[in-house]
Amino acid sequence: MSLLTPYSKVPELNTATVLLVENEEELQSKLADAIVQCEKEFNVNVRLARKLPLPVENKKTRPRIDLIVFIINLLSERSLQSAESSLSHLHSDCFLGKVCFLVTDARCGSHTQERMVSVRKLAASHQCPVLCAEHRTADGVNAAAVRILNILKVSAGMSPIATTALYLSSLTRCSVTSDLEDD
Amino acid sequence: MEGRGSAVNTPATSRPVTRRSKSYGRSCVEAPSYFWQTPGHLTVLKIPTSREAAKSQIITNKVDPEHIALLVKNEWKLSYVTPLYRFRHTELKSYSKHLSAFIIAERQQGVAVEVGLEAGFKVTFTSVLGLAETSEDAETVFIQIQSKPVFAAAADAPKVVWRGWLTCVNGDPEYLRALPPDFVSLPLFCTSGPESLTTLVKSWFERAFDCNFGSLALNSTTLNWLAALWTGCHPTCNIRYLKLAWSLPSQPPLDVSYTVNPQDAWELWNSIHPEESTDGRIDIKEVQSFMNGLETHFFRHFKIYLSAGKLVKVSTALGSAQLDGKIKIGNSDYITTLLTMLTECALLKMLT
Repeated sequence: MSLLTPYSKVPELNTATVLLVENEEELQSKLADAIVQCEKEFNVNVRLARKLPLPVENKKTRPRIDLIVFIINLLSERSLQSAESSLSHLHSDCFLGKVCFLVTDARCGSHTQERMVSVRKLAASHQCPVLCAEHRTADGVNAAAVRILNILKVSAGMSPIATTALYLSSLTRCSVTSDLEDD
Repeated sequence: MEGRGSAVNTPATSRPVTRRSKSYGRSCVEAPSYFWQTPGHLTVLKIPTSREAAKSQIITNKVDPEHIALLVKNEWKLSYVTPLYRFRHTELKSYSKHLSAFIIAERQQGVAVEVGLEAGFKVTFTSVLGLAETSEDAETVFIQIQSKPVFAAAADAPKVVWRGWLTCVNGDPEYLRALPPDFVSLPLFCTSGPESLTTLVKSWFERAFDCNFGSLALNSTTLNWLAALWTGCHPTCNIRYLKLAWSLPSQPPLDVSYTVNPQDAWELWNSIHPEESTDGRIDIKEVQSFMNGLETHFFRHFKIYLSAGKLVKVSTALGSAQLDGKIKIGNSDYITTLLTMLTECALLKMLT
């Protein structure tokens, strides 16, 4: 089974690549446009996928991926299930700061609260951060893009202070309260 | 809370969000357990991951069959209530008089000539004894509003225009014990009848007992539990069908109605949770695999992922439950299980 590995390729100069994985494909393209249009000092490549594993045909031409963002829509159980199944196609090295969860529709009603809890448990068990985004307004998409860029900057090693992805992940990882762990 | 279009960058210093109810400084998105700060106590309510299997109870032993008949007939709209201050089960007659006077007064407000179809209102508060399970549960109170249409003959019996009942079945004992002494907790409020009367009754309660009402929408997890629990009852009581209604977010929205033969549903449930297992508890994982089985079967035939949509309604011969908070009780034998689950939902909803 081909796993996506973080360090098997040589990075390009002043470029970072982010992979957005989303089952519904609704926020992906808007977020990609927003990320590309943001003010930044380095080049960003945004790649989109519905799920992992990525197609084998592109393997040679694909650049090194610095950050993998799983976009989960809390209104659909399928979104969460597809993200969970994609996680098994990642090499374990990826979880040291190169994976992040982006959650949308976290405020819509009570059904999403329990899914939010399962996303948080999932993220906590993989030591990854969870971001919440508002995808229906342009402001929300821009805000999410800025946050992803901040994390991407560190994952790609572009941060001027010597912050590594591993260090950032230990600061931003999703934490689970002790009551959740008792369950 | 439906998709408000606001986006804010998280401020540099994040402050804990203060909530209307007294939860202990946690945002509702975080934990499945809710802290309720009562004077001197900090009680925790957890969402249970395992439950007792539905037990059939010949409830007519404990409760008057007439009262049961009242509960079983209609479709009820659910709300939750915060604890009532100084509500006494002994003063129900005076409450009836106050409420009827209040309704008549409100109805006459602003109307110069009484053109309404209903002339007089008679309110009856009855106490339905026997539904409460534990010693901490308060007794159920049933409210009926009857009225005579204006043009009816004097001998006509008044018609019941509105019904409602407040109940607490198997409420969390720690929480109930932690309430201050003057408070009675009857968290589940079911109504059936015109919305105008419902709002009048609610405002009277709010004024008289200093409580707060809120609409109780059911969770898809609750509906999954009900589907599994009801299916598990099939050997003892024929559920006749298991009907699930899904709504899929396509353009235009697709409504799927999925009816399962009860014997097949029961065999599926039995393979997941064998009937002979000594532990009477059902785990949430078994419920999830039950629903998963139903969904994969549907996918195999129609290539539609039901998990991408919302489960909107579950119904069997034992009753039906809808996502927007409407229930119907079909069979009085399993009423305790249903009410226990609904009381739990009401308590949890109240505390967030």
